[in-house]
Amino acid sequence: MTAHPIPSDFETRTNATYDALIWALSRPGLVRQLPMPGQANIVETLVDRECAVHTGDDMLADVARRTGATIVDPDAADHLFFGNAPTADLLGILRQGTDMYPEEGATLVLPCSIGQGPKLRLTGPGVDGSLEIKIGSIAPGFWEKRRAVMRYPMGFEIFLIDGAQVIGLPRSTEIEVL
Amino acid sequence: MSLKSLTKDWEPMSYGFLDASAKREIRRKTLKAIAVPGCQMPYASREVPMARGWGTGGLQVSCTLINPKTTVKVIDQGADDSVNAASIRRFLARVSGAPTTTDTLKADLIQSRHRIPEEVLREDQILVLQVPNPEPLRPVQPNMSIARQMHADADYGRMWLQLYEQIVRSGRVMQGASYPSLVHGRFVMTPSPIPRWDVPKMHMAKHLTILSAGREKRIHAVPPFTRVEPLVFDDVPYRVEEHGDLTCTRSGAKGYFMNEIPQPDGTSTYEVSDSELGVKTIRSSEGETIDIGQTWYQNGEMAQ
Repeated sequence: MTAHPIPSDFETRTNATYDALIWALSRPGLVRQLPMPGQANIVETLVDRECAVHTGDDMLADVARRTGATIVDPDAADHLFFGNAPTADLLGILRQGTDMYPEEGATLVLPCSIGQGPKLRLTGPGVDGSLEIKIGSIAPGFWEKRRAVMRYPMGFEIFLIDGAQVIGLPRSTEIEVL
Repeated sequence: MSLKSLTKDWEPMSYGFLDASAKREIRRKTLKAIAVPGCQMPYASREVPMARGWGTGGLQVSCTLINPKTTVKVIDQGADDSVNAASIRRFLARVSGAPTTTDTLKADLIQSRHRIPEEVLREDQILVLQVPNPEPLRPVQPNMSIARQMHADADYGRMWLQLYEQIVRSGRVMQGASYPSLVHGRFVMTPSPIPRWDVPKMHMAKHLTILSAGREKRIHAVPPFTRVEPLVFDDVPYRVEEHGDLTCTRSGAKGYFMNEIPQPDGTSTYEVSDSELGVKTIRSSEGETIDIGQTWYQNGEMAQ
């Protein structure tokens, strides 16, 4: 057996975070565990100096700054991290990419409370038929606004964080408030 | 803020070969690729110690996903033991310490060149396909800037025309591998040069598929439970290769995708293309207790 590199703590953590994110985004609505609570890991997993980041939280702003990312206003950011739920108006100004370059749409990371609040029905790729979840601590009108502003394939992705739990909502998912 | 907090400890090489910034870029792009199924996402495609065109795209995705607990399987045209598969498998094990397997059921991560295993993949498995040419429009539009605009407009008329011309000229669709397929009703993608036999395995599958082209620097993905529909006319149904009645001469496996072995007398014999399925069939016929998973095709027919 030849020697192989040993993953550093940073590598192990970001690899596990990525695994949770990719799993969550490919199966919208299903809960996945992050290796650690909070959003700082997600910043370290995805963001570097090629990114433009907006954070609504001072602690996360420090983490983001340390990655070398440019700190920008929400309308110019490709990754947004919030400590408190933002208002629905935010969705209207987010980057959505273009029909030619849909990958330029933003990635939005929000806190929420999973299992409480209004019931949502999800359909779309990654969902076997349809799925109902309860998501609380989200601004009123948020899901209606999301539906109103996005036109597939343009749009943005949302990761909902509750402690160490994560739910991914790609732009391809239809969300109906029940 | 100290110098220590701004730097990282020295390492002889990065875990999984790729450096952290290459991995972050692939992470960002794979997430976007999953969010827009079938849409090609450009990425930087770093150098790996292998020539472009030999599976560097798939290798970079595997290197990003891998950790010491990931069991890896690598196949090349269905075989675990061909040079390309063996080299990639050994490389992945060497740079990550991950265990390797040839058993589809035991693998967490399957990197494949041009085949999807015959045994049904589970929701906890990820399939990474190596893609030589990610652009399904290239035969009808060599200019990739115009092709991108055509994707943006969902302007796929020329794809249909190409299929129509094949039917008019030859009586059937001549596209053997890389059959263009419509993903989630929006983007036409190439499923990589898998045979027509394998395309229905992607439709509403339980597993995640990531397709990565290293030379062409594009990633696209098919999430689980996503529609993947081969382009066909209503009155000319999609046909897979007529391998349903063939029997493997070495293992006796019947009703799977076969490799044709020409014989000196002009006839052909056949050998099951998924080599591990052949090995399992032989071992179970010799009396060993072998766990053969449920297969997508049963008795030569795609199970509904």
